[in-house]
Order: sequence, then C-alpha cells, then structure tokens
Amino acid sequence: MTTTLAGGRAARRQTMRRIRPRRSPATVLLLVVWAGAVGVLWLWWHNTPSIADQNGKILNAGRITGLLAGYLMALVVLQMARVPALERRVGSDRVARWHAMSGRYTLCLVLAHIFLIMWGYALQAGKSLGDIVQQTIDSINQLPDMGKAAIGAGLFVLIGLTSIGPVRRRIPYDTWYHVHLLTYAAVFLTFWHQITTGNDFAVEPAAKTFWYVLYGSVTALVVWYRILVPIRLNMRHRMRVEAVIEETPGIVSVLIGGRKLHRMGAQAGQFFRWRFLAPGMRFSSHPYSLSAAPRPDMLRITVKAIGDHSARLRELTPGTRVWAEGPYGAMTAQRRSRGKVLLVAGGVGITPMRALFETLPGAAGDITLLYRANTTQDLALWDELAAIADDRGARLMYAVNSPDGERPDISVERLRQKLPDIEKHDVFMCGPAGFAQTVFEALRGAGVPARRIHHESFEM
Amino acid sequence: MRKSHPIRRVVLATAATVSGVVLLLSLKPASDPNGEAAAGAAPQQTAAAQESPQGGAAATGTGTVDGNVAQTQYGNVQVRLTVANGKITKADAVQAPKGGTSDQKTALSVPKLNQEAVAAQSAQIDSVSGATYTSTGYKQSLQSAIDKMKASAGSSQGSGSSQGSGGAAQAKTVTGSVAQTQYGAVQVRITVADGKITKAEAVQAPKGGTSDQKTALSVPKLNQEAVAAGSANIDSVSGATYTSNGYKESLQAALDQAGG
Repeated sequence: MTTTLAGGRAARRQTMRRIRPRRSPATVLLLVVWAGAVGVLWLWWHNTPSIADQNGKILNAGRITGLLAGYLMALVVLQMARVPALERRVGSDRVARWHAMSGRYTLCLVLAHIFLIMWGYALQAGKSLGDIVQQTIDSINQLPDMGKAAIGAGLFVLIGLTSIGPVRRRIPYDTWYHVHLLTYAAVFLTFWHQITTGNDFAVEPAAKTFWYVLYGSVTALVVWYRILVPIRLNMRHRMRVEAVIEETPGIVSVLIGGRKLHRMGAQAGQFFRWRFLAPGMRFSSHPYSLSAAPRPDMLRITVKAIGDHSARLRELTPGTRVWAEGPYGAMTAQRRSRGKVLLVAGGVGITPMRALFETLPGAAGDITLLYRANTTQDLALWDELAAIADDRGARLMYAVNSPDGERPDISVERLRQKLPDIEKHDVFMCGPAGFAQTVFEALRGAGVPARRIHHESFEM
Repeated sequence: MRKSHPIRRVVLATAATVSGVVLLLSLKPASDPNGEAAAGAAPQQTAAAQESPQGGAAATGTGTVDGNVAQTQYGNVQVRLTVANGKITKADAVQAPKGGTSDQKTALSVPKLNQEAVAAQSAQIDSVSGATYTSTGYKQSLQSAIDKMKASAGSSQGSGSSQGSGGAAQAKTVTGSVAQTQYGAVQVRITVADGKITKAEAVQAPKGGTSDQKTALSVPKLNQEAVAAGSANIDSVSGATYTSNGYKESLQAALDQAGG
C-alpha cells in the first residue's frame, strides 16, 4: 500500500512539463500597501491646516496613529483572508509572518492612539496627564460608538497578550486560535468610531467612501475565501479517511479518498489545512503537506506525531469525514528558475520534498534529494524515494547520525564535494528551523544566491 | 531565511514611526496662513477675532465681512456678507459643497439661504429642506460673519462709551475668557445693560464632526438661558455636557469682567 502512490502516470507527465518560473508578487503588493499608507497620511495633511500648540500636537499625533492603525487593521485581516494570490504566490509562511509583524505594529499604534488622544483631550479640558483615566471613561460615555471601540480595543489587547511568545507556548493551540478569531469582532466594534468621531471622515466624504470600500472589500474577501470557497470545495470532493499507515516509529501517513481530487488544483509542495471530523479533533484544523502528487481518487499526508493533534491522527478510523481548506503554499515547481534542483529535507520535512521529487520537471540527473534524519530507521518513505530515483534517474542521498550519535557534517566543503555545480542549483528546503538555518548558511557559503533558496518556515 | 533580529526590528519600527509623526507635526505651521477654520478650531478663531477690528470699517460704511468656514459632511460652507450702515445688504456663499449630488443641492439651497439672510438680518433663518447639512453650515458661517460685523460695531461703541463717561443705561459688550473643552474652545460674549444681560452669544464653539450638531443644538438654548437667568447658574443641555460646562465657565468669566 505504501508504494501505491509512487510512479503514477499523472506524476510522470508532470516531470515532462516545461519549466515556467513565476515571480512572487510580494514587491508589487508591498508597494501598493506603502502607497496606501502615504495616501492615509496625505488625508490627515490635507485636513489639518495648522497645529496651534503642544496640545494640538498631541491630538494630531493621536489622529495620525489612529488613521494608520485603521488602515493597517484592514490589511492585517486581509492577510489572513486566504486569498490565493497571497497563499499560493507570495507563500503562506511569508504572509503569516507579515500578519504577525503588522499585527503587533498595529496593536502598538492602537495603544499609542488611545493614549495620545485621551492625553490631548485631558489637556484641552484643562486637566493634566494624571486625569487621563477619568478622561477616557468620560469619552467612552459621551462620544458616539466609543463604548464599542473600547470593547474592541480590550479584545485587541487580549489577542495580543495570548500571542506573546511565552504565553502562546503555554496555552493550547485551539485556545489561542479561538481567541484570535475574536479579531473579527474587535475590528467590527472599532470600525464605527472611526467613521463617527474621526475628523477626516466627517469632513471628507471621499475618505469615508474609501474607508467603507476598504473594509467592505476585506470583509467580502474573508467571507468568500474563508467560508464560501471551502464549503464549495468540500461539497464537491467529499473527502474521507481511507487508511492510516505507520511509516516509521512516530511517523504516520493518512490516505484520503474523495471525488475528482485532481480538480482541486493542488500541486506538489503545497499543503491543506485539515480538519478531521472525529471526536476531539473537529474543532481545529492543522496544516499538513501532501506527501505525494495528488491523484484523482487519493491524497496523502505524512505527519510526525509530535503535538496532541498529530498524535491523535494515528487513531483515525477509515471512513472519517475530512474537511480540507486549500491548497496553500508557494513552494511549488513555479518557484524554480531553469536548471538543476537540490531538495533538502530534514526529518518529517520530507513530505513536500517527496512530492516535489516525484513531479519536478527535469531530465535525468537534474534532481537531487538530500534527506537528513537521526537514524536510517527514521528515513520515512525511503522505499518510495528509492523507486522514484530509479524511475526518473534522480539522485538520492541521506545523512544520518553516526552510530555514536555524532551529527553528520553539512558544510560548504561537503556540499561542493557531493554537487560540484551546486551554485547552479535551485534549492528547495523543508525541515526544523535550526537545521534549515545551518543548511541555508552552508548553501550561501557554497555560492547559491539567496533568491534561489526556497524555504517555507512557520516559525514566527 | 535571512537571520531575523527581532529587537533591531522593534527599535527600527519605533524610531521610524516616532520620527515620522514628529516630522509631520513639525512641518505643519503653528497658525493657519489662510485663516480657514478647521479641526484645531482654537487658533483660527483667535485669528478671526483679530480680524474684526479691521472689519470695523464695514460697520460704518459699506464693506464685506467673511464668516468662518463651517465644515459639513459634504464640504465647506463660507458666507460673505456685504454690510452697509450696520445692515446686511447682500449675502453670498464663497464656499459651498461641490461634486455629485452636492452641486444640485447647493444650487437649490444657497440662493434661498442668501435671500433669507438678507431678509432676517440674523442667522435665525429656516433650513432648506433636503439640504440640511449645507443649511446648518451656512447658518454657522453666517452667525460668525454677523458676530464679526457686530464686534466691530461693538468696539466702536465701546470706545465711544469710555470717552462719553457714559450714563448708567449704557449697554456694553463683554467677552469671557476662552474655556477649553474636549471638543474645542468655547467663548461667550454678553451684552450688558443696566447690570442685566440683554444678550448672550457664543463667539467660539466646538466644530467638526458631530460637534456641529451638538453646537447647533445647545448654544442657542444656552444663550436664552443665560439671558433669562442673568447669571452663570444655568442648566446644562443634555447630550452636550462639555459644551455647556465650557459655556458656563466662559459666561462666568464674562460676568466677572462686567461686574468689575
């Protein structure tokens, strides 16, 4: 059963395809985002003819931070809307890092905005900085939509707190995730005070329209890509667990059957977010890469039993319904330029590499896979890899610890020795963060340009 | 995959944001070169007040007085009055909302409002239905223009009284100190005759956003109350507590001045 997924005809056809590199749209998107930020600052500039005194400066600093926070808030939500251009072209990992970074920044702007505005109001009312708490309470009671905004801000703080590294590691993933979902409520609650009390929106109808369009289109994208598209996908393909196979101690493969699975457009190297409708598992979804090129009737994921969720995968019974969202991820054949390819896998990071190894276009001798594991027993899917290597004339190497437990040497010299033309390779890499960092540095040392090292990391 | 330096990133982002905001703030002039009223109402108001002595000529001869710019949801409104011998002979809107349906509304409402202003000789004119925002803005700007017109007339009167070592029946105008509120400055001017308040008006009141409505709602009431009570012990207008408190503060200051 384990080897049934290797050497399909569809996979072989993919290896013959022309190589068509596509650039990531990240640069263009970032330029648009910056232009939007400049536009928002211009709005403030345009509506503020002058600033009289210290008090006015504080209030206007509050308005600037508020406007920027309102603008970025929409983008922070957009980054998690699972828009295909972001997930598949820029890469889910990079977008997730953007999201984390801009989320933190936006929260800081929100806090600065609250502090500065309330300080400014306190001064304006002839009070001092010490009365800022009373001032805040008064403003919440008296200004329109401020009660809602206060609740929203409280939620933002809660979401921020649960996302701080040490806190997040201590609470279960599900708890963190469900707290994070409150972002939608918080954004909704804080939206209205921007429109009703925001000077720039009261004065400038065009700005108000722009704000409605910005938030409206983000809402539409979230509803479409996070709710409607997954519903359609799962109605169409009706996936169920077919079998669970123990590959090596601690690593299991889950075979998932369904209808017309090749129509999902999944490519080797991509992942889905999986939700297994079994007791105790239905409330959270987890990203697992496909460990074989998708077949019309079958998908396969291979998972190392490390967390609660992945350990429970072992107990899945055939016939369990599966809810999947995807495909996501940009570490596909499109990332490479023309030329040879080196795939580097560390441990269970073999999963996307295994799928790419089978399907990456290339002639015999163009593709090399380097597989790092602790022992030869831990080399999951090895038989399949060997069969693929035979079939398409690819090179397969492994690096394991020596019997006395010493780690293998992945250095510039060793890489050059194995692949003399290593600098002409595109490198795809998947593995634990420390391993990836070591390999990355060795590759750079061996002359591989950073733009040709393709790596997906979900470490924030 | 490049090494990330979280601390460096935090420091950079903070420094860039703070210096960006400080730069933007420092590039703004301290007072408005055009004298247009806008968000930070206080400075422009002072500028407007300084203009009024020059406008004094208008009260005696023929001249024009521009009201403050009133911001409405659809754009700015500014009224220009042509004054001859203390009477409004003509009212124009030098600024009015434009673009989209605003064009029609402006075309519909502004001529009517102009006529009404000349007929009423005050800002107590009816709103044009279907153009409520424009009407409210018009009335606000009109009120400020009338205030300026009267201020110049008042100042000439005031100087007259000091020379004339006047009788007890002499009416005098006293302006209270500026009271800062959360939404902007409030300043009250009262006319006192025989030790009684004959008239009270707000020369400054909060503007912009919802403040426009609140000011329109509360200030006329407060003016009436002040005249009726003859003191600063007046009721606050509910829903406009800040404005009311500022009003009372400035009113008290004006009364103190008048009494002393």
